[in-house]
Amino acid sequence: MWKANFKILMTVVMTLGVFTVVSNIIPQVRSAVPELIVINADMTPDELAAIGENVYLGVGGCTACHGLGTRAPDLLGVAGTVCTTRDPELTCKEYLYESLVDPLAMIVEGFQPIMLDQSRTLGQPELWTLVAYLESQGGEITVTADDISGALAAAEAAEAVTVTEAAPMNPGDIDPLNLIAVNGCLACHAMDGEGGEVGPPLGDLIGQDLAFIREGIVNPNASIAEGFEAFAGTMPPIFGDMMSPVELDVLIEFLATGTVGAVSGEEESNEDGN
Amino acid sequence: MSLEGTGEGSKKMSGLKRGLALFAIGTLIAVPLLAQVAGPDYGEFGIFGMDRRDAVWMAAQLHLLFAAFVLGVPMFAVVIEAIGIFGRQERYDKLAKEFTRLLLVAYSATAIWGAILVFFLSTLYPRFWAYLTAIFAPSMWLYAGMFFLESFTLYLYYYGWDAWKKGVAKKVHWFLGIMLNVWGTIVMFIANGWLTYMMSPPADVTADTAPQTVQVWSAIANATWMPINIHRLLANVVFGGAIVGAYAAYRFLTSESDEERAHYDWMGYTGNFIAIGALIVLPFAGYWLGREIYEFSQQMGITMMGGFMSWLWIIQAFLIGILFLTGNYYLWIGMGRIPGAERFQPYIKWMLLVLVLGVIVWATPNTVIADRDEIAAMGGTHHPFLGVLGVMSAKNTAVNLMILTTFLSFLMYRRANKEPVVSWAKMGTMLQGAAFVVAALVVLFYGIYGYFVSAIIRIGFSVYQVAAVLVTILFVLGIDIAMVRGAKSRGAIRWGQMPDRSQYALLILAVTFTWLMGLMGFARSGIRQHWHVYEVIRDTSEQAFTPALGPAATMISTCVLIFFGLVGMIFWLGGLAEKSVYDDTSAAESGH
Repeated sequence: MWKANFKILMTVVMTLGVFTVVSNIIPQVRSAVPELIVINADMTPDELAAIGENVYLGVGGCTACHGLGTRAPDLLGVAGTVCTTRDPELTCKEYLYESLVDPLAMIVEGFQPIMLDQSRTLGQPELWTLVAYLESQGGEITVTADDISGALAAAEAAEAVTVTEAAPMNPGDIDPLNLIAVNGCLACHAMDGEGGEVGPPLGDLIGQDLAFIREGIVNPNASIAEGFEAFAGTMPPIFGDMMSPVELDVLIEFLATGTVGAVSGEEESNEDGN
Repeated sequence: MSLEGTGEGSKKMSGLKRGLALFAIGTLIAVPLLAQVAGPDYGEFGIFGMDRRDAVWMAAQLHLLFAAFVLGVPMFAVVIEAIGIFGRQERYDKLAKEFTRLLLVAYSATAIWGAILVFFLSTLYPRFWAYLTAIFAPSMWLYAGMFFLESFTLYLYYYGWDAWKKGVAKKVHWFLGIMLNVWGTIVMFIANGWLTYMMSPPADVTADTAPQTVQVWSAIANATWMPINIHRLLANVVFGGAIVGAYAAYRFLTSESDEERAHYDWMGYTGNFIAIGALIVLPFAGYWLGREIYEFSQQMGITMMGGFMSWLWIIQAFLIGILFLTGNYYLWIGMGRIPGAERFQPYIKWMLLVLVLGVIVWATPNTVIADRDEIAAMGGTHHPFLGVLGVMSAKNTAVNLMILTTFLSFLMYRRANKEPVVSWAKMGTMLQGAAFVVAALVVLFYGIYGYFVSAIIRIGFSVYQVAAVLVTILFVLGIDIAMVRGAKSRGAIRWGQMPDRSQYALLILAVTFTWLMGLMGFARSGIRQHWHVYEVIRDTSEQAFTPALGPAATMISTCVLIFFGLVGMIFWLGGLAEKSVYDDTSAAESGH
């Protein structure tokens, strides 16, 4: 009787033990509570770099290309050193900042021009924290309170700018291939054998529902294509604001059909209503 | 022979249970009033190295496990009683009563852990608890009322068993069993309203919404309420069946007579049959719940499937793999005590191969966490070979083939000692075989075709695969029922002549089911991340982060160990107070 009870106990304990051990040896990922980023001019260089690291690993989406070895240069541990060797007319800080806001002018030899202007997705203060973080990778942080003060003032001024409504454009005058180029879509998506693999190839969208494509552009994190879950959150939800409604319509139409002018806006709104 | 425990022991126990139930209800109603008192957001807790979240987690998990048991067992107790009444087989009636006896002793444990949970919530999370009670107070009164009805119906059902055992009185007794299920289901639905509100509050509720202005019905009938209701209803049947199977295994392993072993062997088989049968339907309820979560919040859905919880599904696949393998293993061993089953033995190794391959595919991760060098070596974030297996096309194919294989095991077990005598027996068997082949081909076709179409089309293929399997199961079963009617017996099942390892398989099944419930509870609750009420009430405590799988698994294992410890004690106490209901007719009857 006691022997049977002991065996039963051991069966339960050992089964639980196996489950516990297996669950503890797989990769452990804890969901941290997002912190509110507060940036001010009184921060120390290390504090700025710490915020910059969060931007680099998180909202900046930098790791989608940097660090993989093929798409963009590795930055960790070396960015603060190599920045002084790229352009003799620029300081490290200036070089890194320019690389973020005008990346196509600073392409490193051997890599494709696929990086977007980061000022489209990040505010000026965040950009400077990113510079501070990259400087800390093998170099000395030279971002100063003046840089941050200037960035904060610029951010404040940007909020106060009054946007004037642009005149409606003629869809026939818009080249969807140009939209794809200027918005840097090929940085992550492939088309006709070119482009990245961070998101699904644009050719996969041919035949898809127009509303589905629109949502993918305007609110890219609403659904993640199967096989690309690891890159969830990489695409910034800014492209709906970066293009005019007419430009967006032309681009969606092109992606859905592979041609220009095949689908009218009326047909799309019918599909939306379904 | 008297089949029942009698007497004073039982009456004293029932008095105690009534007291505990009243205590729990009193707590539920009184504590909301206490919680209105202004004070800190969070209370302090630090016993045995546990923090406030651990305390609530443990109490909630244990309350839920016992609650699932006391809701799941009546469901099939009433079905088995009906089989006894309408099939005129008394052994089923006795089995239903024995199930209910387990239910009775588990009821007090449910009430105790419910009371502890309410105390923890009200003292450790007072402000959040006040928020919930401000919205849900009317439903809490209703909950208390239903709890009373459920309690007294249970006592009438159990203690009236022998008094109302014939004619119309027996049917009234069975009706009481149905009402017991109705009250219990309503109780669960109400509590589900509270917890699903935390996951998916109505769209018009924001952080600025005063809780007093939230309509109770709109808060309860939220986006995930009904999917959770259905999912839990089915899961409770699975869980109840598994625990009854474990009870039978415990009694089998500690029994001292062949008659007792025969009875508990049969009881274990019945519990396991119900558990596995309901398990096959459970994934469909899971799909519905998952879809509703995505529709409520894409972000929440992505967190669940593709975010930090993505590895949880690999563990789930590992557990379900164990369930499939162990469930089939139990059946295959069981065929050793059925005359005529030898003819199926050669097929078992092939079925095992399908199951093992299925588990391997299902447990293959889609993406792996890798460092820069590893990603560079793989040529991307997806492994060149494993990446192909880690997608839904392969996984859906694997799981559907595993379900078909398990059904085939059941069919072989069912047919083992029967020799059909109908003229169309050969044709019927061929039709059954053809149905299996067609279903497997449909599953494979859509699995492979899925690699050549876009994701949006591929998602729809899973419906065809599932439909093929379900239609096949119904079609084959329909033929089988008609075909074995009046079949010649190759010999009676030798109940009780099972090796001990079969009973350990039942125990492993019960532990795995229970652990899986804990894991899925963690997933459901964890996808809220740092929110008490998703995007409405933020968790500002030190425990706002969601733990990784390792610590979560340790907590789940601790809870399951405590649960089985208490259940073991209940079984032991039950054995002291009352005699088993088995009698020597069971073994003889059960040969049919």
